Amino acid sequence: MTTPSPTVFVVDDYAPVRRSISRVLHAAGFAVAAFASAEEFLAQYDPRILGCLVLDLAMPTLDGLELQDILAKAGSVLPIIFLTGTADIPKSVQAMKHGASDFLTKPVNDEDLLSAVRVAFEKNRSVRQQQTELSEILARLATLTPREREVLEYVVTGKLNKQIAGDLGTVEQTVKVHRARVMQKMRVRSVAELVRLTQRCGISAR
Amino acid sequence: MSWITIVWSMNAAACLTLAGIYLLVWCKQRQNWAHLLFSFTAVATAAIAAFELAMMHAETIGQYEALLRWIHVPVWVLVISFVSFVRLYLHAGRRWLAWSICCLRTLVLILNFVFTPNLNFRHITSLRQFSWGGGEIISVPVGVANPWGLLSSVSLLLLLIFFVDATITVWRRGDRRRALVVGGSMIFGAILAWHVPLVIWGIIDIPFFLCFTYSGIVAAMAYELSYDVLHAAQLARQLQASEAELRETEQRMQLAASAAELGMWMWDIARNEIWITDKGRALFGFAPSEKLDFDRFRSALHPEDRESVHQAVENSLRTGAEYESEYRAVLPDGEVRWIAGRGHVEFNGDGQPVRMRGASVDITKRKQAEELAARQRNEMAHLSRVTMLGELSGSIAHELNLPLTAILCNAQAAQRILANGQVDRTELREILNEVISENKRACEVIRRLRLWLKKGEARQDSVRINKVVQDVLKLIHSDLVNQKVIVNCELARNLPAVTGDPVQLQQVLVNLVVNACDAMADCNTPERRLLIRTGTGNGNGNGAVLVSVTDRGGSIPEEKMEQIFEPFFTTKAKGMGLGLSVCHSIIAVHRGKLWATNNADCGATFHFSLPIGIRGTAVPISSNGQLDDHA
Repeated sequence: MTTPSPTVFVVDDYAPVRRSISRVLHAAGFAVAAFASAEEFLAQYDPRILGCLVLDLAMPTLDGLELQDILAKAGSVLPIIFLTGTADIPKSVQAMKHGASDFLTKPVNDEDLLSAVRVAFEKNRSVRQQQTELSEILARLATLTPREREVLEYVVTGKLNKQIAGDLGTVEQTVKVHRARVMQKMRVRSVAELVRLTQRCGISAR
Repeated sequence: MSWITIVWSMNAAACLTLAGIYLLVWCKQRQNWAHLLFSFTAVATAAIAAFELAMMHAETIGQYEALLRWIHVPVWVLVISFVSFVRLYLHAGRRWLAWSICCLRTLVLILNFVFTPNLNFRHITSLRQFSWGGGEIISVPVGVANPWGLLSSVSLLLLLIFFVDATITVWRRGDRRRALVVGGSMIFGAILAWHVPLVIWGIIDIPFFLCFTYSGIVAAMAYELSYDVLHAAQLARQLQASEAELRETEQRMQLAASAAELGMWMWDIARNEIWITDKGRALFGFAPSEKLDFDRFRSALHPEDRESVHQAVENSLRTGAEYESEYRAVLPDGEVRWIAGRGHVEFNGDGQPVRMRGASVDITKRKQAEELAARQRNEMAHLSRVTMLGELSGSIAHELNLPLTAILCNAQAAQRILANGQVDRTELREILNEVISENKRACEVIRRLRLWLKKGEARQDSVRINKVVQDVLKLIHSDLVNQKVIVNCELARNLPAVTGDPVQLQQVLVNLVVNACDAMADCNTPERRLLIRTGTGNGNGNGAVLVSVTDRGGSIPEEKMEQIFEPFFTTKAKGMGLGLSVCHSIIAVHRGKLWATNNADCGATFHFSLPIGIRGTAVPISSNGQLDDHA
């Protein structure tokens, strides 16, 4: 699977602004894909592509905030940089609350735009990395048998093998074998490391 | 003394009395020659009567001969007077006959004094004396008739022909009474006069009674003249009455004219003379005795108005339409006065304009009030625009921001491209083109704003309403996008132009569109659609351009349909309630109409109509569109 290079998606209904912003980003070395409307973007967007979205707030039919909603509901982690002609406070608050990466007003200075794009890229990259790590942990978790998973949940609470055996109604030796399998399957060496992993994927202790 | 003396004397006396009366009348009215001629006739008749009486009483032949010789003098006067009377008074009788009679009679008179004893007799042998008709003894001559006496008979014959001819002329003219009375008596008299040659030739044996044949004519003439006098008196009375009536009418008219401060005038076009009342002279500042013509009138006008007045006058002279114009007159002291003139052209039978009558009135006060109202209205409209612009400021900032953003980004992109070192000329050219076009766009926004904010008199331009719609949509484009309102336009093609102020018409449309958007925002319409339509229709009987703005918001309660156009009526929390009232007065000044209707399904439609092509002057605002009351 070949993933395309990180891209800045520009969505603005006003062509000269859309073109000029694309030019700035392009000249700064970014790959750019521009769209005249939110609908056009949704139709063509490939979520696997890394990058960020430079989005005009006010557009006919689907506007910036609505597109943000749609993307959030679809589980997208694409960072959004809003561009607006009017400093509309209620709308900017709503945008930020819903996790906008940045909120810039037109006319935008190239440095401001580029640094916002860089920050968003970084954010996207780290989010994607975390996502990758998480999915790996989840994959390891999935290899555990139900009994092993039960034992895992007791181990991360810091209980000793004897206590666990008592709680589960089994012998200490059996628990010891399960614990060793869990440590091996989860590819960790210490209980502390195991606790960190389980915390990241939201497994609660018993 | 028997009846003969009495009758002849009475005849003479009656004739003399009439002569005296009409001589007196002539003295009062010297131009009336008929009266003088009548007096001569009557005096001559009286003289003839006297001679005849004397001849009847003559004792000797010598006496008789002398009397017969001298009687020719009054006869001559009589004939000349008759002929002149017919010519001058009846305006009849042939001229050559008249001259022939006069000449012949004069010849007779001369010959009468050449021959001895007279023209009638070569000699009188005796006087036959006898008692006649039971009266006294009278003398009748017996002798040899003078053949030259035939001349006298010929003149008598000519006179008869002359009378007959004149009578026929008068009769044909339709003046039958006069023909019967005067003509008839003259013919009758001329026939009776033939007894004279018969007596002379000894055919009949009676005394001369010429005076009676002529006094009949005199009586007829007197009757006719008295009839004239009576008629004249009657006419004079009627004239007096109608003059009094005329004076009364004139006074009433002058009263009305002065009450209305009207200056009445009359222009005699052929002679180029203007008559004007004193009030009118004062109106234009003409001196009381100054002679006036059209050029003098024109010179009193304000130079800027001369051409339009001239055209209005020309138009009336050409088409016969009522003359009507409003113009300024400059008085000698430099004061400028507004005057309204109205007039009517009168044509002669050939369709040529003969004169023009009319009235002028000072309308300076009305004009000042109109100007004040117009100024206040324009200020109000301006204020309303400024307020509206405040409400739309975010949207307008956005309109400016867009091109500015494109310009800035393009310029910075160019810098980066140059810094990168790989210069793509095509791209740089595109960037520059876009910078220029975006700059122009920004300028256009600013130009529109400037127009929008400009204060001043309303213009009278030829306006394409579709262009107004497009300009308005550009002006509030961002606001519409922000409110997520979709605008559909159904603009009729080839619409005729209207006359008016483009900015004020834009203002009306912006108001209607913003109101429609607010109405849709207020009732949370899921589908915010706006329909703007243009077309033609009928407004006040003339062609009009119609514009309508249809929204899908709430409807207007029927009882508030009229109220919404009143000032300070509002349903909005933040509104002043001036927008629609200002719109209403703007449309009224454009001689149009603004009204609202509810749609069948939902929402309301606002319509306005503007008359096609009418170039309005400073129009007084209609009673329901007034602004001056609450400005």
